[in-house]
Amino acid sequence: MLDNIKDAVRKFLSGSSSYEQAVDEFIKDLQKALISSDVNVKLVFSLSNKIKERLKKEKPPSSLERREWFIKIVYDELSSLFGGDKQPDVVPDKIPYVIMLVGVQGSGKTTTAGKLAYFYKKKGFKVALVGADVYRPAALDQLIQLGDLIKVPVYGEQGNYDAVGIAKRGVEKFLSEKYEIIIVDTAGRHGYGEETKLLEEMKNIYDALKPDEVTLVIDASIGQKAFDLASRFNQASKVGSIIITKMDGTAKGGGALSAVAATGAIIKFIGTGEKIEELEVFNPRRFVARILGMGDIETIIEKM
Amino acid sequence: LNIFNKLRYKEIKENDISDIIEELRMELLESDVSLEVTDKILEDLKTNLIGNKVSRSEDLEQLIKKSLKKSLNEILQYNKIDSNLVDNIKKSPKPFIIVFFGVNGVGKTTTIAKFVYLLKKNGLNVIIAAADTFRAAAQEQLAVHAKKLEVPLVKGKYGGDPASVAYDAIQSAKSRGIDVVLIDTAGRMNTDKDLTEELKRIIRIAKPNFRILVLDSLAGNDALEQARYFEDAVGYDAVILTKVDADAKGGIVLSLAYELKKPVIYLGIGQDYENLISFDPSWFLDRLFS
Ligand SMILES: Nc1nc2c(ncn2[C@@H]2O[C@H](COP(=O)(O)OP(=O)(O)OP(=O)(O)O)[C@@H](O)[C@H]2O)c(=O)[nH]1
Ligand SMILES: Nc1nc2c(ncn2[C@@H]2O[C@H](COP(=O)(O)OP(=O)(O)OP(=O)(O)O)[C@@H](O)[C@H]2O)c(=O)[nH]1
Ligand SMILES: [Mg+2]
Ligand SMILES: [Mg+2]
Repeated sequence: MLDNIKDAVRKFLSGSSSYEQAVDEFIKDLQKALISSDVNVKLVFSLSNKIKERLKKEKPPSSLERREWFIKIVYDELSSLFGGDKQPDVVPDKIPYVIMLVGVQGSGKTTTAGKLAYFYKKKGFKVALVGADVYRPAALDQLIQLGDLIKVPVYGEQGNYDAVGIAKRGVEKFLSEKYEIIIVDTAGRHGYGEETKLLEEMKNIYDALKPDEVTLVIDASIGQKAFDLASRFNQASKVGSIIITKMDGTAKGGGALSAVAATGAIIKFIGTGEKIEELEVFNPRRFVARILGMGDIETIIEKM
Repeated sequence: LNIFNKLRYKEIKENDISDIIEELRMELLESDVSLEVTDKILEDLKTNLIGNKVSRSEDLEQLIKKSLKKSLNEILQYNKIDSNLVDNIKKSPKPFIIVFFGVNGVGKTTTIAKFVYLLKKNGLNVIIAAADTFRAAAQEQLAVHAKKLEVPLVKGKYGGDPASVAYDAIQSAKSRGIDVVLIDTAGRMNTDKDLTEELKRIIRIAKPNFRILVLDSLAGNDALEQARYFEDAVGYDAVILTKVDADAKGGIVLSLAYELKKPVIYLGIGQDYENLISFDPSWFLDRLFS
């Protein structure tokens, strides 16, 4: 397999094959790059077909600029999937604002709740945390320790197993105390088989809180299951945004692209480490560059 | 006779099988078998098939699937372990020391709790070393499990040296005649040099009898990267695959067998203590061809 798209384009440009043939080969390599970045296989084929059509229909510029042109079209199609080439707006459009974090076990919800609280606190908002995970041992302790670290209050009820009630009372308490951004951490769940009732619980929390935003927390390493999982979450409680965690590892994060396709939600942040400050606003160009395995997308897009 | 042969048999050409191979490629990839392993396996399959003579009446698709299943089954034998770990522990000098590691959030701590449950059921007594002194409430999380499972726990101070927690637990096991020491470690990314050094140190000091890499069955291509990284950095005896109940196909099992020849010993199939089952290669095949 080719290491990256750069090689694919180089191969294409130096090749003596016809344009049609070269496009086909380029598409094949693109598919490989996307699949090994864990983009949903079906999504890869529909994306690459679109790209192929464009490459065949639109007129390529002089062969010198062809490489850039290829990348630009790939970038266009990928970025249109997640709402275009712009950084997301992460400042809430109203106050108070309630954010509910959901996701599969271990994806990084609790850590991210702390990070978000810290991010908004630094921006000058009055922030609070609510711990509504009643299953994981010491889930509330974890949130409390993070809250202590950044001096943000945490609501939880040790020993109570009514997640819906806890979430509701926590949010109400902080609303009455004029907190501006309230972040609700929930238990990890996937919702298959035995866990159908956990998905129901999530829906009940959602119905009780009517949060302004449901954020799906996704692990950068998630594979092909991302699409289906995200659809399930979206059905139970409309997902508005996505945060990709653990981007400091080697995983490419293509599963998040599948989640975007499944939910129509936008990616807002990425987590880049375990520490509380290791949260960055999502940058589409950098993300696509990572998915494609090439670093210089930025300069190419700028040039076009 | 030759003429009859020609009529009744035909030679398999690349063209005859390419559609079915592409179909199989989709299935393997959608099961999270890594791209490179998928390519290699299908290349092997092609080489084996092309040029073979098949009877004209034979269903080519069935033949190819059968052939793939057979070769996958052979590959998956690498996932098998020679002897049962629990039996192994029973036969070994005490204390038997097991260390668990892996990237963040895969299920190390929960798997340790399940292990305690399993070992206790087998009449072994256990002590846990909470050598994750980094993540918020990592200590408290294990303490809840230890209390529920009624086993001793050696705790560490946040920010403290994890290797010394492991050491203390081993000393305690020795003086109290405890059979098994389970060492929980902090999650660490396969890009983190410092934390890799820390893990090496824990292993140097604990001298474990058995090392377990914990992998998340929901992970895609990166799972193989993780497996390779930890193999190079510290090495391990077996893998435990978690969150299998999340309906993931678990393609990493095949990638592991093909690329690293590593056994998978248990699967995590839920969050309860009894949700740990022995791994059997046919599990993956059944899932893939279901
Ligand atoms: N390296 C790295 N680790 C992360 C990141 N975000 C979270 N983690 C780690 O991932 C692990 C799981 O994080 P949690 O916040 O406990 O995950 P969770 O989704 O709340 O887990 P459950 O509540 O059990 O479902 C912890 O070890 C975190 O430190 C990140 O961006 N990078
Ligand atoms: N559904 C399901 N959840 C699991 C399984 N194994 C672990 N979990 C859940 O995954 C989440 C993370 O598990 P932990 O045991 O805390 O993971 P860890 O690897 O110790 O995490 P860090 O120490 O933060 O790196 C918890 O919510 C567990 O309950 C499993 O087999 N199935
Ligand atoms: Mg949590
Ligand atoms: Mg742990």
